Amino acid sequence: MAKGTNDAKLLIQSLRKAYAATPTSLKIIDLYVVYAVATALIQVAYMAMVGSFPFNSFLSGVLSCVGTAVLAVCLRIQVNKDNKEFKDLPPERAFADFVLCNLVLHLVIMNFLG
Amino acid sequence: MAKQRPSLLLLLSLTSLLLSPPPAFSFSDESPTARRILVLVDDLALRSSHSIFFDSLVSRGYQLEFKLADDPSLSLQRYGQFLYDGLVLFAPSVSRFGGSLDQSKVLEFVDAGHDLILAVDSNASDLVRGIATDSGADFDEDPEAVVIDHLSYAVSDADGDHTLIASDNLIKSNVILGDKAIEAPILFRGIGHSVNPANTLVLKALTASPSAYSANPKTKLSSPPSLTGSSISLVSVMQARNNARVLISGSLELFSNRFLRSSVQKAGSKTIYDKSGNEQFVTEAAKWVFHERGHLKAVNVKHNKVGETTEPGIYRINDDLEYSVEIYEWSGKRWEPYVADDVQVQFFMMSPYVLKTMSTNKKGLYSTSFKVPDVYGVFQFKVEYERLGYTSLSLAKQIPVRPFRHNEYERFIPAAFPYYAASFSTMGAFFIFSIVYLYHK
Repeated sequence: MAKGTNDAKLLIQSLRKAYAATPTSLKIIDLYVVYAVATALIQVAYMAMVGSFPFNSFLSGVLSCVGTAVLAVCLRIQVNKDNKEFKDLPPERAFADFVLCNLVLHLVIMNFLG
Repeated sequence: MAKQRPSLLLLLSLTSLLLSPPPAFSFSDESPTARRILVLVDDLALRSSHSIFFDSLVSRGYQLEFKLADDPSLSLQRYGQFLYDGLVLFAPSVSRFGGSLDQSKVLEFVDAGHDLILAVDSNASDLVRGIATDSGADFDEDPEAVVIDHLSYAVSDADGDHTLIASDNLIKSNVILGDKAIEAPILFRGIGHSVNPANTLVLKALTASPSAYSANPKTKLSSPPSLTGSSISLVSVMQARNNARVLISGSLELFSNRFLRSSVQKAGSKTIYDKSGNEQFVTEAAKWVFHERGHLKAVNVKHNKVGETTEPGIYRINDDLEYSVEIYEWSGKRWEPYVADDVQVQFFMMSPYVLKTMSTNKKGLYSTSFKVPDVYGVFQFKVEYERLGYTSLSLAKQIPVRPFRHNEYERFIPAAFPYYAASFSTMGAFFIFSIVYLYHK
């Protein structure tokens, strides 16, 4: 229906305009999250083809991607100035948490990778 | 014992040593050809009427001792040791053996690994029929029945009742009958027996032709004969599981000088053979029965990892190993290398995981190499070799197989490389992200 596609086009355009207004740091975090999730999806597709033989390696790989994506999302929430909940949290503290959690995550990953 | 007159005893023993023949080589693993043979006969005239056969045995080094079957001094054993290494029973009409011999003692003799040649004729007593049945040959129950063949009889048959048969249905085995083919038919006059087809140990060496049957030649047939055709065996051989060999012949005359020297013409055929096949047949069959052919031994079982020489106490899965064994055949005088292309070795645990045919260097050494299967447990190297006419070889050597130790696995699994790459790329991405995030403008 012409009206439907028109509406979709209008929706996408308004989304794009709104997104362009976000600060650059948040855009960088978004890019990082997209990369991590894409890597996780590639690994799942590979496992679907080849089979789950070293299952521990598969879990470790997927978990490293998903875990770091989750931590990046948490960072984004805490750093976003529009977010009322974390108004009093210094962004440096948020970033420090992010780095420490990633360190622990990757330590676990290295161990479980086999 | 005799401390009373040492000098006289010494003199007596010295004299007896000088007068007696040199000590006999008795049956042993090193020299498997039996030496001392007891020949039991009904009538000592058999010694001369069958002299060609007996002389052929003597010329090959056997010591024959002739005794009447009801001789009261007969015995095969004394104080637990056998006095003879082989027995030839040419006494078909004996109803009871003399001395301490009886059917069970003869069976014990064969069970101890010694060889037996048994020949009967139409007056076969129940005793010899019983001995034959113990060895797997069941003679026709009718005591008057002989083998009659109206199509395959020998033309020289004087009686005309076709009981003298010329047979050439021989077993196809170079081990039992020698390398040279027996061309002339074999003369036979006597009774026939059957062998149970389920019995794997007994073989029909000389079979009657399909037109033969076992019946009384003097009376008219009232019912169809029970033994007919090719199921009648004229001469059978049996190799027991302990490798003792028994030959059972339904005709004593088959061994006689008259048959050995006679010419033969089969009915319906124009060829007259100057000499029957009897002499070649009995000589070659006797050679086989007394282990001059077809007696194998396997020695020197060796196994090791490829590249090493010592035998390990345990293997690991997926190891490469080699196995070798030496097999020799007794030729009557010495051990010759046995050459065949079908000796197989199994790597066995409840069922053979590996079954390989071994290659030979033609000097008796058989070897092969293979990879240990991917299963751990206690395995055996098994060689089970059973061929028609040869002694059976049954070797088993146990060896355990262990799985990988935890540091023997491959360090990096190729199938998991994408996961390794993903994890490290995530770490790298995190590092780059944190730099960019902190220092962007």
